This record gives sequence, C-alpha cells and structure tokens, in this order.
Amino acid sequence: MVFEPSLSTDNTSDAPASPLVSCCSQVQIKHKGDRLLLVLPQEGETNLELPWSEVWQELKHLLKRREQSWQPETSVCLVAGDRLVDTRQLQTIAKTLREVELKLTTVSTGRKQTAVAAATAGYSVEQNNRANLSPFISHGQPNSTESLAEPLYLQQTVRSGVEIRHAGTIIVCGDLNPGGVIIAAGDIFVWGRLRGVAHAGARGNRKSRIMALQMEFTQLRIASTVARSPQNLPHSLEPEVAFISNQGISLARANDFTKTRLFSPSEDSWVRTNN
Amino acid sequence: MSRIIVVTSGKGGVGKTTITSNLGAAIATLNRKVALVDADFGLRNLDLLLGLEERVVYTAMDVIAGECRLAQALVKDKRLNGLVLLPAAQNRSKESVEPEQMKTIITALAKGYDYIIVDSPAGIELGFRNAIAAAQEAIIVTTPEIAAVRDADRVIGLLEAEGVNKINLIVNRVKPQMIEEKKMMSVEDVIELLGVSLIGVIPDNELVIVATNKGEPLVVGHKDSLPAIAFHNIAQRLEGEKVPFLDFTSGDSNILNRLRRMFGG
Ligand SMILES: Nc1ncnc2c1ncn2[C@@H]1O[C@H](COP(=O)(O)OP(=O)(O)OP(=O)(O)O)[C@@H](O)[C@H]1O
Ligand SMILES: [Mg+2]
Repeated sequence: MVFEPSLSTDNTSDAPASPLVSCCSQVQIKHKGDRLLLVLPQEGETNLELPWSEVWQELKHLLKRREQSWQPETSVCLVAGDRLVDTRQLQTIAKTLREVELKLTTVSTGRKQTAVAAATAGYSVEQNNRANLSPFISHGQPNSTESLAEPLYLQQTVRSGVEIRHAGTIIVCGDLNPGGVIIAAGDIFVWGRLRGVAHAGARGNRKSRIMALQMEFTQLRIASTVARSPQNLPHSLEPEVAFISNQGISLARANDFTKTRLFSPSEDSWVRTNN
Repeated sequence: MSRIIVVTSGKGGVGKTTITSNLGAAIATLNRKVALVDADFGLRNLDLLLGLEERVVYTAMDVIAGECRLAQALVKDKRLNGLVLLPAAQNRSKESVEPEQMKTIITALAKGYDYIIVDSPAGIELGFRNAIAAAQEAIIVTTPEIAAVRDADRVIGLLEAEGVNKINLIVNRVKPQMIEEKKMMSVEDVIELLGVSLIGVIPDNELVIVATNKGEPLVVGHKDSLPAIAFHNIAQRLEGEKVPFLDFTSGDSNILNRLRRMFGG
C-alpha cells in the first residue's frame, strides 16, 4: 500500500441549514453562437429576490473578471426571464456593457412590462414563458447528475466579501482570501492559497474535489459535508486535494491523489486503490 | 498631469485622515501643489488635523449647490505653500451628495494642482463611493490587525471592480516590539495577503497624536521624528523616487539599525 499523508479534518455534522444554495441565484454569462447571453437571477430559484443593486454589482464584478473572453462589439442578449427590469435598469445594464465594449441588442423576457420597456428603448425582444428558458438556465436540483455548465475561469484573487457561485467547475488563478466564498456545482481549483470558504459539489455531487496549491482554508464543504480548519495543524507547503472519504472530508497530497484514490459509487466516497 | 488619489480603508479609525493631512503636507514640502479633499461628509475632521478649522467658510456642499465658486471654498495653508483644503460640510446629510457631483468638482479641482488627495470615510456605502468617484489611484490604509486587513481586502476588490487598478498600501500603527514577539501581524504578512504594492510603513507613535491635537502636520512641527520621516519617504515614493523602507524593527540600542536608519531612511 502506498503511504498517503491523508489527514481527516475536523468534520462537523452541523451542516448549515441551506448549504445547497442554488447555483443559479446569480448573474451568469454564457457564449451562445456568436453572441453572449447575460442571464439574470430568476425569482423562482431562490425564495428571495436578489435586490437590483446587488444584481448590478455582481454584473460589474463578473464583467471585470471575464473581460478577455470575448471579441469587442459582441452583441449581448439579456435573459431576464421572469424578473422585472425597468427602463432605467436597462439603461444601466447597457451602459455597463458598453464600458467593456459589449453591445446590448436583445432582451429575452417572460414579463410583458419588461418587454415593453425593452422595445421602447429600441432593443429586440424575445418574449418567452418560463419553460422556454431552460436552454439558458440549468435548474438546480440537489443530487442530480445533470451536466454542468462550462467551467468558470477567474483570473484574479477572490477577495474578502466576494461570493462566487457557478453551476459548474470554478478555476481561480490567484488566491481565495479569508472572507471570500466560492460555491461550485463541480470541482474547485485554486491556483494559489485557499484561505476562505470553498464549497464544491454544491448540488450534492460527493465526487467533487477541491484543489489548492496551499490549503489554509477557513472552511471546506463538499456536497453537504463540512470541515472546519483544524486548529493547530501546520499547513502543508505542497498542493493538496480535499475530497470525501469514509471519514468525511480528507486532505491528500495532490501528487499522490490520482494514484491512490478511486471514487467508489457503492460507498459514495473516495476509497484507496489496492496497489 | 495631476494625480487624483483616494485614501481609503474600509475599517474606521485606522488613520486615513491622519495620513491624508500628513502626506499632503509632506508632498507640499517637495514644492508640489496639493489639494486635500475631505469626503467624510457629516464627520469632517481633516480641517481640524490641519489646524484650519476656523478658516473654513464654504464647503464642498456649497460648491455643489452652486452657492459659491470652487476657488472660494478652498482654504489655503499658511505654513505650507501650495497646500489647500476643500472642506466637507459638517451639518448636511451625506446622502445628499452623489458620486457624479463629487467627480465633477474633483475633476475641476485637478486642473490647478499636481495632487488631489481625497480623505474617504470608513465603510463601503455612498460616502465611500463619493470619495472614489474621481479617483485614478488609491492608497489603502490598514493597521496590522486581522479585521482591518480583511476590510482592506474587501475595499481593494471594490476598487478593482470600479477600474481603479493603481493601488498602494500603507501599513499604519506598526509596533515593532509586538511583531517581534509575534503578537502582531508583520508587514510582510499583510502585503502577502493583500497582494498590492507597499508604499509606506508608519510606526505607532505618540507624536502623531500630539501633532493631531495641535492641528499641525508632523512635517511642520516634528520634522525629524520617525513618523515624519516615514511620511516624507512616502511623498518621495509617490514622486517616483526609490527610497528604502525604514527599519524600526529593533530598538535604538542597535547601532547597526540606527546607522541604517540614518543613511537609508
Ligand atoms: N501612527 C499612529 N500612531 C499613533 N496614533 C495614531 C497613528 N495613526 C493614527 N493614530 C490615531 O488614531 C486615531 C484615528 O486616526 P484617524 O482619525 O486618522 O483615522 P481615520 O481612519 O481617519 O478614522 P475614521 O474612519 O473615523 O475617519 C486618531 O486618534 C489618531 O491620532
Ligand atoms: Mg477620518
């Protein structure tokens, strides 16, 4: 058997009341053909509607981070769904998009008022009822094995006060600072120091892993399992992987992980290989 | 080209106003024209620290309301040529100022000065957004405490989202003794976490409080004191000069450090 310095962290059973935050309760940007879709959070996904000011802040953050991933003057379709967007908010979105050389051309909405506001402002309107939105929005269901969104690639350190949610895997080229939170339906890679809170497999996938060059987390969550930072444990200077073993969340050296661990569907956790 | 710099921190009481006034004075001694803007509406005290309180007639609010011209509201410092203050209103609600209005006056002010330094209020609400509205660069102030550093990190993220990417860091109230005893975060720890470039370290020093109470910037009254040298060095670094960082890690007993301080600082 291969020696593996796997250390089980301090697992707490008191998982937070709603760890499986819907991955769709935030602004998303997706490529579709030669245009971009800007998907606003949907009312139905979470019980509470995200206030406009936060939607806008999130949008601005998102655009700043993703600036490099499109051609200038790409046209954007705003997928508002059942969310009400008034004339002023449309103007704000258009202005924010213009600042990063994107062009709002189309508004897709299920609400008549929004459609009217958009048409009045001179945008093309696609009126949709909710069912038609499904190609744009993946409806999160705990434990579902549905396909994930394309990975979200962040080129910046995630700083205190920032919470990033994504319906797929998240890759951070930078640190995750204390006070920062990353929630992914898939895996989480931090090419830097992980010092904040990371939640992988947020829709219930126990196979999800969290990897970091330096694991100095405040808290890790995978599916509905939670691990707090062990108190007096020296931090490893090597890249590590966090995963669900039969003892809860464990850490292993990244170098050894793929050689020594295998996901066992029957045990619903990562087990040691026998070579 | 003038530079518009906002001094901000997130957390309150870490030394933004102290740094704005002393740094402004230090830059003025380098024969630069400096305008300090108090953006802490309702809780102004930059005028107090500069000893200019009794000379305030109009404020930024009066300029915004069109009740006076910008030039009328500026208070000139008698001791330092080229240093002026645009005071904030004390009585009016800060909710009545909008970022766009702040941007307009600060941009207008920039025409006549080499440096515009804006003293931001604590927090990340409207007052903060007003203070950063016109800024091209920022000086983040923190003390070596976890809560202050956490807030500084948050503010850096907000500044980056607003497109203010030139960000320098000042670590204030550093106590070398405590760092040596590992009771305080070191400056290196702070830089490592925040990932922005360091422009100055200011020791915790009672002269700072003495100067505050007198309404007299340190570079005027205590020119040769350690904190005054620290401010002077920051001013030079802003001017693009390479000035080694002060080493106040060990006490005065260490001759080598004292020499290093004399020549390097
Ligand atoms: N380096 C220092 N050494 C000793 N005292 C200091 C130092 N820097 C600041 N202080 C003291 O700390 C207190 C707060 O400073 P200051 O008012 O500049 O903070 P601030 O960040 O502007 O606060 P606010 O957020 O309320 O505007 C003052 O009493 C000041 O004299
Ligand atoms: Mg202040």
